[in-house]
Amino acid sequence: MEQTTIRFTLNDRPITHAAMPYRTLLEVLRDDLGLTGSKEGCGTGDCGACTLLLDGKPVTSCLVLAAEADGRKVTTVEGLAKDGKLTPVQVAFIRYGGLQCGICTSGFIVAAHALLESNKTPSEADVRAAIGGNLCRCTGYDKIVRAILAAAYDEGELVDESASMPVMEKPLFTEGPM
Amino acid sequence: MAREKLLGPLGESHARVDAPDKVTGATRYPGDIALPGQLWMKTLYAHRAHARIKRLDVARAEQTEGVVKVFTARDVPINEFGLIAFDAPVLAGDVVRWIGEKVALVVAETEQQARQALDLIEVEYEDLPALTDPREAMKVGAPVIHPHYANNVLKHVPIRKGDVERGFAESDVIVEGAYYTPMQEHAYLQPEAGLAYLDEEGRVTVQVAGQWTHEDQHQIAHALGLPDERVRVIYPAIGGAFGGREDMSVQIILALAVWRLDQMGIHRPVKTIWSREESILGHHKRHQMWIRAKWGAKRDGRLLAAEVEVIADAGPYAYTSTKVLGNAAVTCTGPYFWPHARVDAYAVVTNNIPAGAFRGFGAPQGHFAAEQQMNKLAKRLGMDPVELRLKNVLREGALTTTQTPLPGGVVALPQVVQVCARAAGWKATSTERHVADENLPQGSTSTRQPLATGYGFACAFKNIGFSFGFPEGASAAIELHGGTRVERAVLKIAGAEVGQGGHTVFMQMAAEALGLPLAQIELVASDTATSGDFGSASASRSTFFAGNAIRGTAAAALQKWRDEERPAIAIYRYQPPATENFDAATGRARPNIAYGYVAQVVEVEVDTETGQIRLKRVWCADDVGKAINPQLIEGQIEGGVVQALGYAITENFVTRDGHVLTPYFSNYLIPGVLDVPERIESLILEFPDSEGPWGARGMAEMPFIPLAPAITAAVHDATGVWFDELPLTPWKVWERLHERSYTPHS
Ligand code: FES
Ligand code: FES
Repeated sequence: MEQTTIRFTLNDRPITHAAMPYRTLLEVLRDDLGLTGSKEGCGTGDCGACTLLLDGKPVTSCLVLAAEADGRKVTTVEGLAKDGKLTPVQVAFIRYGGLQCGICTSGFIVAAHALLESNKTPSEADVRAAIGGNLCRCTGYDKIVRAILAAAYDEGELVDESASMPVMEKPLFTEGPM
Repeated sequence: MAREKLLGPLGESHARVDAPDKVTGATRYPGDIALPGQLWMKTLYAHRAHARIKRLDVARAEQTEGVVKVFTARDVPINEFGLIAFDAPVLAGDVVRWIGEKVALVVAETEQQARQALDLIEVEYEDLPALTDPREAMKVGAPVIHPHYANNVLKHVPIRKGDVERGFAESDVIVEGAYYTPMQEHAYLQPEAGLAYLDEEGRVTVQVAGQWTHEDQHQIAHALGLPDERVRVIYPAIGGAFGGREDMSVQIILALAVWRLDQMGIHRPVKTIWSREESILGHHKRHQMWIRAKWGAKRDGRLLAAEVEVIADAGPYAYTSTKVLGNAAVTCTGPYFWPHARVDAYAVVTNNIPAGAFRGFGAPQGHFAAEQQMNKLAKRLGMDPVELRLKNVLREGALTTTQTPLPGGVVALPQVVQVCARAAGWKATSTERHVADENLPQGSTSTRQPLATGYGFACAFKNIGFSFGFPEGASAAIELHGGTRVERAVLKIAGAEVGQGGHTVFMQMAAEALGLPLAQIELVASDTATSGDFGSASASRSTFFAGNAIRGTAAAALQKWRDEERPAIAIYRYQPPATENFDAATGRARPNIAYGYVAQVVEVEVDTETGQIRLKRVWCADDVGKAINPQLIEGQIEGGVVQALGYAITENFVTRDGHVLTPYFSNYLIPGVLDVPERIESLILEFPDSEGPWGARGMAEMPFIPLAPAITAAVHDATGVWFDELPLTPWKVWERLHERSYTPHS
């Protein structure tokens, strides 16, 4: 089998990449391009941890072939904050405790972004529907829903405070000497 | 260092310190880490419940393109592991005792090559009889799975208090029931993964998601026949745990591969990532239990005598089963005072998936039986279930079934019961519902309304920390740097951040103990090379043990600072008062250091035409002693309630002959956002524990425990039917509702 060449826009940057045609977009992003923010929780389209935006629409990238991204715009969780400034959704997740272990978080944040792009004034039911395909085993969802609603309605108040948050002077975990 | 006022942010809902990296995707979990030159490992599982390996041939697999080496039992120096007993093989050599038993490991250049080579390993098995029902397995004459577990009984816990026969003779009412609680899958969203290599000091190093770095280190070292110091375990971010990462998954096999390769002159890291299916088949489950209970009480509601039998399915190996069983034995009579009690609890080995730790650790099973019994008793007596609790809950100084009082000063059971009932408007909304349903006229089916609403109540207690005489403790180290003033403080602690917010709370407590702003605290965590043993992130113990360890360390470091040491470095190990194991004959024991207390009211809506149950509202009152970070506590309450909702209603773990029929999220249904209550009211109480740091108790398991029996009570309230088996899947509910004439209450 031959590799196919895929050209797409990844987080606003043009990318040309060769990959075997059976590989998923999630695998290519994680294993070849080093973007590990999108997670694989199931690989079968059931959990939403791999959610990213394809031409602005949320998709479960474990079920999308990399070749399908050809000529399209891919936005992952890493591409949301611009110039190091967090988006209101990200700030709201921090402030309202919309995450615990965090393995589901990128999927929820991407899904919330897609919702708020298309609907500036979502109802609580809209929010729940928008994240209906995302599983979280830790939070019980309530604080996620509150965070997304806050991002929609308190946007002005949700300034990025992460700069003033306690930051580790060195990374919490060193990665081994290899 | 003069301390004018408390600068530490204790009691504030400080944002999680790990949150900024988690919302941007920067956080690295074990599967996200890649090292140059890494090899991939895949595991061959038995997929047989019980069989003898007659032939194992890896030659063809080893000759496949890209394959570096295939490892089997012969490659494991000391082929055994286990948390409480070394009774399980790392790789099976002669007999496989469950479907997920590991038989061989393939290491290859790519993951795909490793996966393909698995198919070329030739194994010939001779099937042996598979024991999958513990009630059969414990019968005299049943085939024995391990010679050292006679009659397949891993552990029997007897508890004897008073004289149950006399108690039953003096009772006005007797309530009897038989209950079943199912296996449950942890379903953390990050499947097992890890990476191993030799570090700069030549230590076999494993980066993995676990719950107890030093226990992982010890079990790896044991299997490799190395001293503990030659092994290093590091936890990067952990994608949920809930008890499911307390036993070994990929830890030992990764270490084995990298260490053996190194001996062969191949100095390369080895990585593995399990699929969701491997995760569900490959790690232990919550114990399924069969519980029979007979309770006697006076007409005024005073409990007199309880006789309970608990049979727990341990699967083939011990894991943590004896301890889970102990907890079920203590909790199966509920948080109540009993003059007379007789409990016989058995953990039985079978060829099912091993059972082990899962949030609640035996208490959800014990309380399901206990609280069903209590709610049935209230109905029989025509008494409000809350009133019945208040008559019987354990109070300060009262002797438990193990004949010792509960420790910690205040026993806030009456308080959680009352606060919860009041907040839920229990009297106002529910009293009229709690008339004996036997007295209601039986309606005809034509009056049936499809949606029936009901309310239920349950309460619970659960220990904090390891029980039954296990040597408990936790270590921490603090370094204070600076000249005339402390400029920065480094806290080194091994405790795992499994998502609960442990690291944030550790830093808040360090700031408080040192009198420094949080921004000056640095954390170095979860690495056996930098910290002493902390114990596990389990048993609701992290805040309690970290807090005490940090307080002791901070005091020692500040003393050194005053003595002009620069930097001032202190290491300290907190050791709590000792606990006791059960007396072999009577079960008498002081089993625990501390407890947490919880009560819940739930509102459900039952669709009697489809059997669908909707959990509408939950009120949860939880005595946490001291809320170090209220938002994180709410997170534990909401998350625990929703996980218990899965246990009670949606999560149906189906097995047949030891095989799992539900290894995917498409057929093992954990709750999604559309399944959960619209609001969970967290009622946080602060009755300080005398041994807890700043009075804090542990709390992360408690909200899970009473939910299932509160739901079954509410379903009974709505429909008049008691469900004694979980989960309440729609078909099961529908069948039971339609096999009897049925009258909705509203
Ligand atoms: S990993 Fe794609 S939906 Fe779960
Ligand atoms: S925060 Fe752990 S799965 Fe959502």
